[in-house]
Amino acid sequence: MEFIDYYKVLGISEKASEKEIKSAYRKLARKYHPDLNPDDPEAERKFKQVNEAHEVLSDPEKRKKYDQYGKDWQHAEEFEKARKSREQAGSYGQYTYSSGPESDFSDFFESMFGGFSSGRGQRGRGFRGQDFNASLTLDLREVYQTHKRTLTVGERNIRITIPAGIEDEQTIRIKGYGGPGINGGPSGDLYITFHLTNSTGFKRKGANLYKTVELPLTTAVLGGELTVDTFNGKAKLKVKPLTQNNARVKLKGKGFPVYKSEGRFGDLFITYEVVLPRELTKEQKELFESLRATNL
Amino acid sequence: MTLQKYIRITDFCQGHALQESFLYQLHEVELIEILEVEQQPVIRQSQLDRLERLVRLHRDLEISPQGLLAVDHLLDRMEALQEEVLELRRRLNRWE
Repeated sequence: MEFIDYYKVLGISEKASEKEIKSAYRKLARKYHPDLNPDDPEAERKFKQVNEAHEVLSDPEKRKKYDQYGKDWQHAEEFEKARKSREQAGSYGQYTYSSGPESDFSDFFESMFGGFSSGRGQRGRGFRGQDFNASLTLDLREVYQTHKRTLTVGERNIRITIPAGIEDEQTIRIKGYGGPGINGGPSGDLYITFHLTNSTGFKRKGANLYKTVELPLTTAVLGGELTVDTFNGKAKLKVKPLTQNNARVKLKGKGFPVYKSEGRFGDLFITYEVVLPRELTKEQKELFESLRATNL
Repeated sequence: MTLQKYIRITDFCQGHALQESFLYQLHEVELIEILEVEQQPVIRQSQLDRLERLVRLHRDLEISPQGLLAVDHLLDRMEALQEEVLELRRRLNRWE
């Protein structure tokens, strides 16, 4: 059994960062990928080596173990002992994994890491189950508060938490609730896409809400108070004298919950629409006439 | 049975732990052709090797469907050139 210098295989230093490892792996995988080098056994051999090196060095636990024992090759005997004890355990049915004669990994890898692999590049091992997609339509009011809901997906009842502030067309992932894995692989995930309807009268942009309210002419001119609906109650606003049509005020923290930020809310923006009278009494008309006389 | 000449994309995706949407993306860029046979989306069995190559490239090298389109085109050209080289070598051998 021959020691393999995985750092050398990837052409990186022993202090290489995760990013450098990934970058080196990508370059070499592209260079030696068997589909890009048809009928080239040497490229295939190198591709397997590159995969194996990446498998070890991209996994912090495996890398630590490799760094600890890999260089100090006289510990090889210990690996052998460990391997033998694993094989023995396997014969008593405690280990279900077997790398088989067609393993893509070297003897060195298998003696050190027991042949188990979860990374890319391996063939003939377990496959992850299929991901499921589902959609759920809710009203905006229903996503104002975090709540739980039971869904039936693929004949299974799943109780999920729907976080407040979820967006229209947002997709969340429920890990492990997809199709079952094949050959002992992990289950797939469930992706739920939310479709939100809005019958609230509020317009929503992210966590901010927008609403237009009517403002009587006299309140706009002289100032006063106005009670408006917020998403979860009412608020009394002080209207400044000479407030213009389409003026906008901000009610801080009266908007929609910020997604996955408990206790944080966006703002509510109120736009005033000054309402002009459609009918006037004789007295009101006289008062407007006298206002006109003042050149207003 | 008609379906023997075809492979259901559901079966293919289950076997390869793939999302069906990936195959539809390949179909959109015309790398594969998804047909409907007996009301089921299928691919021709003759496309299987090519599709498996695309899946491996996508998985191992994280190549997008658009990238696969370019790779597939270049691989086809490479294969054609290799065949041409072989043919020219054969002809050359006759003269040597």
